[in-house]
Amino acid sequence: MRASALISLIVVMLMLWFLVQQSWPYWQHYGLGSFVSGDWYPYESLFGLAAAIIGSFWAALIALAIAIPTGLAAAVMSSEILSGPWRNLIRGSMELLAGIPSVVYGLLGLWLLLPFLQSSLHLLTGHNLLAAGLLLSVMILPTIMVMAQDALSEVSASQRDAAASLGMGWSARLWRILLPQAWPGIRSGILLALGRALGETMAVMLVVGSMDRIPEPFYNLLSPAQTLTSRIGREIGESAFGSMHFSALMACGLLLALVTIAISLLAHMHTDSARAT
Amino acid sequence: MSMNERNAKILTTMLALPALLPPAACLSYILFKGIPVLDWAMLIGSSQAIAFGSISTLWPQITGSILLMLGACALAAPVALGGALFYALAANIRQRQTLLGMMHLLVGIPPIVYGLCGLIVLVHVLHWGISLLTGMVILAVIILPMLLMNSVNAFDRIPGGKTEAARALGLSNGQLIRRVWLPVAWPALMTGLLLGMARALSETAPILFTATVFSGVVWPDSLFSPVTSLQTHIFYLAQEGANAEAVDIAWASAVILVILVTALSFGASALRKIRMDG
Repeated sequence: MRASALISLIVVMLMLWFLVQQSWPYWQHYGLGSFVSGDWYPYESLFGLAAAIIGSFWAALIALAIAIPTGLAAAVMSSEILSGPWRNLIRGSMELLAGIPSVVYGLLGLWLLLPFLQSSLHLLTGHNLLAAGLLLSVMILPTIMVMAQDALSEVSASQRDAAASLGMGWSARLWRILLPQAWPGIRSGILLALGRALGETMAVMLVVGSMDRIPEPFYNLLSPAQTLTSRIGREIGESAFGSMHFSALMACGLLLALVTIAISLLAHMHTDSARAT
Repeated sequence: MSMNERNAKILTTMLALPALLPPAACLSYILFKGIPVLDWAMLIGSSQAIAFGSISTLWPQITGSILLMLGACALAAPVALGGALFYALAANIRQRQTLLGMMHLLVGIPPIVYGLCGLIVLVHVLHWGISLLTGMVILAVIILPMLLMNSVNAFDRIPGGKTEAARALGLSNGQLIRRVWLPVAWPALMTGLLLGMARALSETAPILFTATVFSGVVWPDSLFSPVTSLQTHIFYLAQEGANAEAVDIAWASAVILVILVTALSFGASALRKIRMDG
């Protein structure tokens, strides 16, 4: 039994070790300058990370900007406005949404969302960061909504009663009591959703356009772009094991792993220590 | 109900609407596109002419996905159960914190990173190549944390009185687990397993370059040969924009995949309703 626990510890350590080891030649050769350069041309040995980092950042930001307000509103509606069966219906549909495989979202994005964007915004191609962000927002919505709803429903009845007996209105109770009390859970949900958005591969890969270029100007979300995950997914198959290209892709993977590990540490910092006692 | 309150509620509902429409819309669109293409010959036919995009059987893809899923669960479930028993029986507070913390970390790491590590270690260092076994191991590691946390929760929810009564009767650890804990906790454990299976069926990125090929495999010769899978099939065919038939097959594959995953989740919800103190 102790062995099982050890296995999981060893797995994390080994994974990081192998990523560092394989990406080491890249870091040694290109150093920290690789974060500034946006040029990624494997055949000319140019491996700048900036374009993909900016792409990942924008895609995740768009997703959060849409999913946080709608997800929170859906959670509030579900736990504070609706009753029994409707609540279960919304909860069930969120679980359904969470269960759809990411490659199926990619298919939906490619053949439903892209043509729509293309015709409504008059673009040459619908492949862009906006499409990736929109698709991601649907994918991370269940995480935010379900965690927020759980957090809201855990606010104790005595607190609600106290607020009501003080004569607080519905929106005052929501803003002064419910949301602040539920905030730790909501925050964890948002962070987990962010990690999911950064790490999502298949759906993003199909709609983002896979163009290794820093958006110009940097807020141009309507031209084809690249994210860390889509770059790895597109190119890992054609890079030879041990080459600089392979090493650079491993560097992208290491970056992704470190950022998402930091995010989950933030998300679980408080809950774990309280739980295990 | 005051004016203000009503306005606030209406505003909340308006904000929530974008969250309420997509589930139904996504699902009906998938079914709308995929169902007309599906027929029985496609599901179980034995046609080996798997030419690019031509209507043919999806049977190899289905078996490939299911083999990967079963392998992953067979590898991950015992480790998860063992870890959870360690957590419940033997671990002190520090060990519990470490274990939970590790699991939360592992859950947070994107699947494609597991794919990369599998590519380095299993495909290249261990020379397993692009193979069924590689995919099984990678998927097992991916579903391990959720299985383990679910098992921990399952044992946590066993009423303390049952354990105390068993201890008072002098049951050993083994007897306690077999006679008291497993009979009470099995629905919760199975729920976790079904969700793990659904997850293993959905993951695509980590097996794309470590376990699967586009076509040419009907039944893998051994654990060390590559397979085809529904997930990766959808990915390849989705991009065949010039070939409408290929995209149709992608939709049909998506319908099959969504049905399989949803069936597993429904099974999990049904099991969740079985009360643990019964």
